[in-house]
Amino acid sequence: MRNTARAAIIAVIGGLLAAVVAACGSSSSGTSSATTANIPLKPGENPVGQTLYGKTKGGALTVYSSEDFEHLDPGESYFVQDYAIDYATQRPLFTYPPNSSNTLVPDLATAMPTTANGGITDGGKTVTVHIQPNVKFSAPVNRAVTSADVAYAIERGANPNVANPYFISYFGASAPTPLVGTTSAKYAGGPIPGIQTPNPTTIVFHLTKPGASFLIQALSMPISMPVPESFAGPLDKKAPTTYGTQDLVATGPYMLKSDSTGKFAGIGYQTGKSATLVRNPNWNASTYSQLYHPPAYLDNININIGGDASVIGQQVLKGTHSVQLDTPAQSVVKLAYQTYPSQITFTTGAGDHYVAVNNSAGPFKNANARKAFWAALDRNAIVKARGGPLVAQPMTHFIYPGLNGFQQSGGYPGPQVDYNKNPNGDMTVATKYMKAAGYSSGKYSGNATVQIVGANNGNDPAIIQIVNNALTGLGFKTHVSEVDQSVMYAKYCGVPKQEIDACPTVGWVRDFADPLTLLYVPFYGPSIVPTNNSNWGQVNDPQINAAMQQAALVNDPNQRAQAWANVDKMLVDQAVAAPEEFDNQPNIESKDVAGVNQLWDIGQWDFMFSSLK
Amino acid sequence: MSPLLDVKDLRVTFETEDGVVHAVDGISYSVDTGRTLGIVGESGSGKSVSSLTTLGLTRTEGAKVSGEILFDGNDLVAMSDDELRSIRGNQIAMIFQDPLSSLHPFYKVGWQLVEAIRAHRSVSGKAAHSRAVELLDLVGIPDANRRANQYPHEFSGGMRQRAMIAMALANEPKVLIADEPTTALDVTVQAQILALLDDLQQRLGMAIIIITHDLGVVAETADEIAVIYAGRIVEHGSTAQIFKSPQHPYTWGLLTSIPRLDIQRDEELVPIAGRPPSLIHRPAGCFFNPRCPYARDEMRRIDPRLEPVAGESDHQVACLLEPEVRTRIWKGLQEGQSPASLRTLASPLRTQASAPAAQGANEVSE
Amino acid sequence: MTTYILRRVLWGIVLLFLVCLLTFILFNVLPSADPAQLRAGRNASPAIIAHIRHELGLDKSVLEQFWVYITNIFLHFNFGYSFYSGQSVISLIGDRLPATLSLTVGAVILWLLLGIPIGIISAVRRRTFVDRTAMGSALFFVSMPIYWLGLIVLFLFASDIGKFPILPGANSYVGITTDAGKWFTSLLLPWFVLAATQAAIYSRLLRGSLIETMSEDYIRTARAKGLPERRVVWKHGVRAAVTPVITVLALDIGALLGGAVLTETVFDIPGIGRLNYDAIIHSDFPVVQGTVLLAAMFIIVANIVVDIAYAYLDPRVRYS
Repeated sequence: MRNTARAAIIAVIGGLLAAVVAACGSSSSGTSSATTANIPLKPGENPVGQTLYGKTKGGALTVYSSEDFEHLDPGESYFVQDYAIDYATQRPLFTYPPNSSNTLVPDLATAMPTTANGGITDGGKTVTVHIQPNVKFSAPVNRAVTSADVAYAIERGANPNVANPYFISYFGASAPTPLVGTTSAKYAGGPIPGIQTPNPTTIVFHLTKPGASFLIQALSMPISMPVPESFAGPLDKKAPTTYGTQDLVATGPYMLKSDSTGKFAGIGYQTGKSATLVRNPNWNASTYSQLYHPPAYLDNININIGGDASVIGQQVLKGTHSVQLDTPAQSVVKLAYQTYPSQITFTTGAGDHYVAVNNSAGPFKNANARKAFWAALDRNAIVKARGGPLVAQPMTHFIYPGLNGFQQSGGYPGPQVDYNKNPNGDMTVATKYMKAAGYSSGKYSGNATVQIVGANNGNDPAIIQIVNNALTGLGFKTHVSEVDQSVMYAKYCGVPKQEIDACPTVGWVRDFADPLTLLYVPFYGPSIVPTNNSNWGQVNDPQINAAMQQAALVNDPNQRAQAWANVDKMLVDQAVAAPEEFDNQPNIESKDVAGVNQLWDIGQWDFMFSSLK
Repeated sequence: MSPLLDVKDLRVTFETEDGVVHAVDGISYSVDTGRTLGIVGESGSGKSVSSLTTLGLTRTEGAKVSGEILFDGNDLVAMSDDELRSIRGNQIAMIFQDPLSSLHPFYKVGWQLVEAIRAHRSVSGKAAHSRAVELLDLVGIPDANRRANQYPHEFSGGMRQRAMIAMALANEPKVLIADEPTTALDVTVQAQILALLDDLQQRLGMAIIIITHDLGVVAETADEIAVIYAGRIVEHGSTAQIFKSPQHPYTWGLLTSIPRLDIQRDEELVPIAGRPPSLIHRPAGCFFNPRCPYARDEMRRIDPRLEPVAGESDHQVACLLEPEVRTRIWKGLQEGQSPASLRTLASPLRTQASAPAAQGANEVSE
Repeated sequence: MTTYILRRVLWGIVLLFLVCLLTFILFNVLPSADPAQLRAGRNASPAIIAHIRHELGLDKSVLEQFWVYITNIFLHFNFGYSFYSGQSVISLIGDRLPATLSLTVGAVILWLLLGIPIGIISAVRRRTFVDRTAMGSALFFVSMPIYWLGLIVLFLFASDIGKFPILPGANSYVGITTDAGKWFTSLLLPWFVLAATQAAIYSRLLRGSLIETMSEDYIRTARAKGLPERRVVWKHGVRAAVTPVITVLALDIGALLGGAVLTETVFDIPGIGRLNYDAIIHSDFPVVQGTVLLAAMFIIVANIVVDIAYAYLDPRVRYS
């Protein structure tokens, strides 16, 4: 799960206020959100098909973000916003070009490893990657990147001073296909036996299971962005590391403005104030493969941190050479859509939200009760509460748009099961399943009170209300708690012992295009932990667990997509959670900006491809 | 020659949300150089308003003033604010009841005196300061030089009033109005302050108006006394006349409430029963009738006028009781009889009145 | 007088200690996210969480943590390091203080320039048209939420998004040392917004105080002296009426220096308020402590200043 929620909270608060202001000052704002419903996106608003090359070079882009960055060290990043800087300043082994949501291309690597080119061997247990020879680190390192720098970048992820949030789940002990030597609970950093660097341009990964496909995809994450041990090693000994808070070196077309020692804190980044990206003088445009070569049109990217989302939005829409990095306020989305339609884009596949229901205890241990709840839930009302069909669609299954396996598991309509058919909520179907669950009247007749815990931010309370209505409509007595989002996770939904029955404001964002990143952590039984748990519904179905283990090892892309679509189908069959909506990400730019969205992530701006007009 | 200060038919009203307040309702008095006038009445009788009006201090509160206040022949009522200001604190000065709250707590006593001097005299700060010390010395403040550099809260009550007097004397005024100058002080200090005023008058020869609710205060100092009730003078005479042959039942009340050792009383010393009337809704007839133990029916209709007392020069009273009845009642009161027992003295005449009148008289006595 | 101030300062230190204790307790007792877990990210192994916990000192007993914290602050003037960015709290605060200081000082000057004359005129011309108009608009500004006013002002006057683009709007702030001219113009709107509400409060406060003062006996004395009315109002009336205003002013300045979160957010001024807000969002305990302590310190200092000012302004206090 990647954190997108905080930006949304601030955006919504600002939006509400701005709406009040707009209502006072403007005559054109009387229309309700219903107006924006069911209006199809115009060509410019859908970033699919955006122009990537042959655009204007030079100039400075101003980027507004009411949210600050969290981690600028690629080894620590997981907040979507950090990725915008990571990918512009660093080079992962593989990456998604901005016009694809699921096709990887080589970035630092010279080619995609396949069985045919000898990149995948040993039945999928060994992956060999060759890297571009002439990629140089920025000052003060000023030398070519070697395979050892990639190896160090990954192993430092296990160092507690760095604590890469994905290391354990995707490369280490909890991974479906761990690297050799990382499965011991005692492993906490240091060289990994499963990573070999036979020469400066070759890195070989050895897995304990044939998980080549997954590993290759995971190597698109910032953890594969090279880090020079000579420079970062001493910094990584501090707790927490100061690589990424004080000093940093870059390999990408841009770098955070730094002094000659690599120090950027207070120069290219001021906490809570600003970040400044300048061209990396050591970057060489010819060090890419035929498949991908970022043009890096802009000379400077000046990121302004802070401010009210409704103000920022207006500044971007009415101003010049600027974009907003985080989620625009609802009022701004509406204004842009109505008045500046060529300056807003909507990227599908930006995440999902669902109601996590307790599969291991309470009334929803019964699958039929869960199906009844799914059937009763008014997903269209939830879509409306999230901001309407521009920013959300009813969720129908668990692999969301843009990921491999989405079409195979039913596309937008989803599986044709009766409890999924009617997104307005279907009480007839719900009653049928309540009866099947053993409540002869069709209403819940037990004594349990359903504990609902949700976040109190932004439009989450409205969602909680809709969920609560569905539950009380089924005869449940409910007890609703609205708390801060971090408290919701840390004290309630992430603590199985609390036995929360329903968490209506949780959601998930992919880490990359493999459906495993959506389903493995939140629905895989063995991933349940006593605290900080992300399998909120405590889904632990042996058949589903086994199916996930198998699907994780499928390496052929089509078969893999099908295997995960099958897992998705099982999740739907068991109604392990009640889906709410698929998220779209709105993004806004000034009229003189030719912004390019990253389709694979949540649709935010790709600074390497965006340009001024 | 006309008197130094001559107040003629002064009327002061205030507009309030509840109605028009008739604070001063046609009073006349005069005072001359070297003389002392006592104005006596309860609080709320309008006695302070009349003197504040003399200085124009009621102008800021939106009062309506009519009549004349002639000072050296010039009408203060008709004067412009600026003209009046040049007289205020200069030729006519005033001291107030509570010397602590009347002195500015944030400024040194000397500074406040200097300010008073320099408001009307163009003298150097240094000269003003030595004059201030001189004044403090004059009013009997020991170690005046040091005291001038102290704040009011460092002074005792009596010292503060001396300082107030010094300030009032700063410009050698022709008239000094002292509004309840001793009320906030304890008894021994009261006597000292009164003696000081007397002494200063003899030395400086100014006219003094002492406003008080306590006849005892003016007994020794005043040359003549005006008794004021509900905005009107009800009795006016020399101090000797007021004390020896008071004519108004209100004056009797004031006199009998002064503690005395020389006569026996058959009841406790009590102030006059009842409260002063509202100055918005004043009683019909004699304003004093609701509180007067001797009131008769016609007195609730007829408004008495201030008239000379037969056989006494310059003694006036506004009372409807017959002169001989007044004499008998006062005699009885002096012997220590209670007003209740003397009520019958007013009653023989009551038989001539109609029956409802008797009923009314009973009401009054309650 | 010296011992009096000394006593107050000592009390201030005791109070700061109590504030430390209170924030510490609040953070340890109230439900909030575990900073170690936040740092560790998702699905971190218990070993890593334990390690981070150790590095942050969270594995020590609560008493020990408090002791370390307190001794660092009071003996070494070390407020610790941000859990989140790793920077020292002192440097973060030092970085943000100039913006907050700029915002506060300008706003205070502006609201005094507006509030005091309006208050005096209203009091002197009580119940007139001027008074009613002034107090009516004061009521309007007092009841206006500052965030809302900020947005309205931006949508009306900001040079980039306003209907009447005349002044620099949000995130135009630059440090005074970078460009004094830009610093000044960029702060005009925030100053106005912050000052509008306060000027309204101050004019009402001063009006009330002055009306009360003008009915004091010593004002009557001043008039009886034959002083010009202007002198009576200023030298005698305002001089005394301003004392409660100065008390409130010092406390307001103290509170504002602790950060004007709303104004700083709506105008995107990187001050203490936003630092504090962000730190709370990120459960960044050392920074929260630091900013809260700073705010508490400012308020305590303001209180001491009030006491000294009172002694200076009111001689009755000086000697008691």
